[in-house]
Amino acid sequence: MAMDVVLSAQGLTKTYGAGKDALQVLGGISFAVNRGEFVSVVGPSGCGKTTLLFAIAGLQGVTSGTVTFNGRPVTAPPKGVAVVFQDYSRSLFPWKNNRDNVAFGMARIQGLSAAQKRDKAQEMLDAVGLAGFADKYPWQLSGGMQQRVAIARGLASQSELLLLDEPLAAVDAQTRADMQDLLLDLAIRFKQTCVLVTHDVEEAVYMADRVVVLTRRPTVVDHEIVIELGKKRDQITTREDPRFLAARHDVMTSIRGQRAHAPASAA
Amino acid sequence: MSLSRRQESLRGLILPVAILLAWQVLAWRASTPLFPGPWQVTLSIWKFYPQIVGQIGYTLMRAASGFLVAAALMIPLGILLGRLKTVGAIVEPIMDMLATLPPPAVIPVVMLFAGTGDAAKISIIAYAAAVPLLMNTYEASKTLHPMANLVARSLRFSRLETMLRIDLPASLPMIATGLRLAVASALLVSVTAEMLLATNGIGVFIQRQQENFQIANGLAAIAFISIVGLIINNLVFQLEKRWLFWHYRSSDTHGNG
Amino acid sequence: MDGFSAFALLLRFRALVSFLIIVAVWQLVAALGLAPEKYFPGIPAIVSGFLGMVANGELAAAEWRTLLRAMLGLAGASLLGVGLAILSDISPAFRRGFAPIAALIQPIPPAAVVPMAVFMLGLGPKLYAFIIILVTVWPPYFNGVAALASVSDIQIRSGQMLGLSRWQILRQIKLPAAMPEIFAGIRYASTISLIAVVVAEMLAGHDGLGFLLVRKAFAIRIPEVYALMFVCAANGLVLNAIVNAARWQLAGWHLRMTGQPA
Repeated sequence: MAMDVVLSAQGLTKTYGAGKDALQVLGGISFAVNRGEFVSVVGPSGCGKTTLLFAIAGLQGVTSGTVTFNGRPVTAPPKGVAVVFQDYSRSLFPWKNNRDNVAFGMARIQGLSAAQKRDKAQEMLDAVGLAGFADKYPWQLSGGMQQRVAIARGLASQSELLLLDEPLAAVDAQTRADMQDLLLDLAIRFKQTCVLVTHDVEEAVYMADRVVVLTRRPTVVDHEIVIELGKKRDQITTREDPRFLAARHDVMTSIRGQRAHAPASAA
Repeated sequence: MSLSRRQESLRGLILPVAILLAWQVLAWRASTPLFPGPWQVTLSIWKFYPQIVGQIGYTLMRAASGFLVAAALMIPLGILLGRLKTVGAIVEPIMDMLATLPPPAVIPVVMLFAGTGDAAKISIIAYAAAVPLLMNTYEASKTLHPMANLVARSLRFSRLETMLRIDLPASLPMIATGLRLAVASALLVSVTAEMLLATNGIGVFIQRQQENFQIANGLAAIAFISIVGLIINNLVFQLEKRWLFWHYRSSDTHGNG
Repeated sequence: MDGFSAFALLLRFRALVSFLIIVAVWQLVAALGLAPEKYFPGIPAIVSGFLGMVANGELAAAEWRTLLRAMLGLAGASLLGVGLAILSDISPAFRRGFAPIAALIQPIPPAAVVPMAVFMLGLGPKLYAFIIILVTVWPPYFNGVAALASVSDIQIRSGQMLGLSRWQILRQIKLPAAMPEIFAGIRYASTISLIAVVVAEMLAGHDGLGFLLVRKAFAIRIPEVYALMFVCAANGLVLNAIVNAARWQLAGWHLRMTGQPA
């Protein structure tokens, strides 16, 4: 199968501060994401996942190394990359209703009239199961519903790459399972390339075609593991599948091992 | 972005210096005592500062007395009204009405009752300071989290104890806001009252300078008021930071920003 | 049950109820002669004083001038304050330079400025514009600076990911996010602007409510003085209503979000 690389990170390092106070967070991270793939990036707490995500999104520079998106180096937020942030309550705009929030995802798409954007926004809200909530405001919805609006906004921007920054970390367990399946369905339906950054091993394995496992600080890629469970997943049968359990065991061992030989006082 | 701190603070000086220069140039070109520049004002400060400081002293004494009277009466009253929900609900619109009345508008009436002496001025100042204090204390005490009430009951506090040991400290951040407004209000009203009911004080000094066309001296007095105001504001801010650190600390972690 | 609903009704119209209580207590004090009648006239006397001023037109003339000055001054000060806040947000050098100026001018009470300003600006609209803006601009400015600086990082980043320019982020994200706090400042500014107008009219004036108030007081026309104070307070309500209407237009989402009535 010919691989069509959408995103590639080569030797990313990031050091905060200088001299004695210098803190190296990223120690040279390299990985690639192919078109249509769902990749999870998972690592121990405090390993600089957010720094990595901001670097990929072009929101924050790195100390060395390059990120390329569709073969072009990323220095500013590139066209064609959307982010769903963990903190939905702050990434949505409380002064816009849900439809306008989603339509705002198309702010810079040219050649679409306002009416077309509205229709498209409505369509995306339908897709995330919020058809009847277009005229409501984000703060009138529950946390899980707000995050669905944020996902709809990400999809509406018609981006080639959707970056998910722990999007489900702040919702309750039941909602979380529903949202995982919703995200997977949407990814298949829209043939959306996704990168999910998370610290939750179960979620990383359940969602992904491939898991990139990170080490602790200064963070590098420990190893990658391909999840051979097919595109369709199921909360009950997938989680009982021996291949799922094996992959989970592999990732968990790696991450717990990372933690084990970390100094006890490390945050 | 990698400007050094020194460079940055130098850049910050550009605007104030430019304004002072422009003012001075305009004053030179106007060359009339009715439009003095910063240099003439500086000379006036040098010549008149003992007098100005003395007069500000009178003003501040009265402002402080009125303010203290207001604080002593209104903070307890505000907490009490916040506790007695029904009475508070009835009194609230009265407070709102008083709040919309500009405090200086009270001066003529108080003058009629209490004459033009210190007592009259202090009562006016006390009134002016009372409104923001009462409103903020009441609002804080009214909107106190019900959890605090449960804690008080589980500790078996009496009503008075609850008000002193729970309501008061929990209301302090909003009371502090009220205090700051009250300080500004007290200063404003003392100067206005002096100008209308004059005997002494910085307001009278400014008015005399106006009558004698000594604009530079008047501006010198204003400069002193501004510095005194700045010092008072800073003092209040420092006290707030020392006593209310818990409020700022917890809103740092939970606040949105 | 019946007593309860009567009580609920009482609370619903509590503004009216407490107004009536004030009027009743006032009239009682006056009727019992608890205060010297000369200084504490009864309600009928105050009402007739009010009607007298309405009839001879002096009230309408003064009220119109005062209210217009306060409104125009407030509008000017709000626009200027927000403009300065935006400038401070764009340019750190301006912010640093302007901060000490703001800190020094902000504590100066309007009364102190009036006598000096009369010389430089005369008694016309320039005087009122200067005084009102000088004391009223600060709440919108300070609130604006603080609110623009504390707009959530994630909201700004969301805007960046959508490819918005710096200017678009300011206009479409930072300003709307800062609007509620700016309006809190404008609301406070509306109180100050009314104070500034009345003070300026009292000290420098030859017209307006403040001037009328002082003139009536020196002429010992007590019922009129009380009637004028009532009009002053009513002006506060009018300005408040105007600010609230503007706020509903520009930051209504926030009122709905926090569940405040209009």
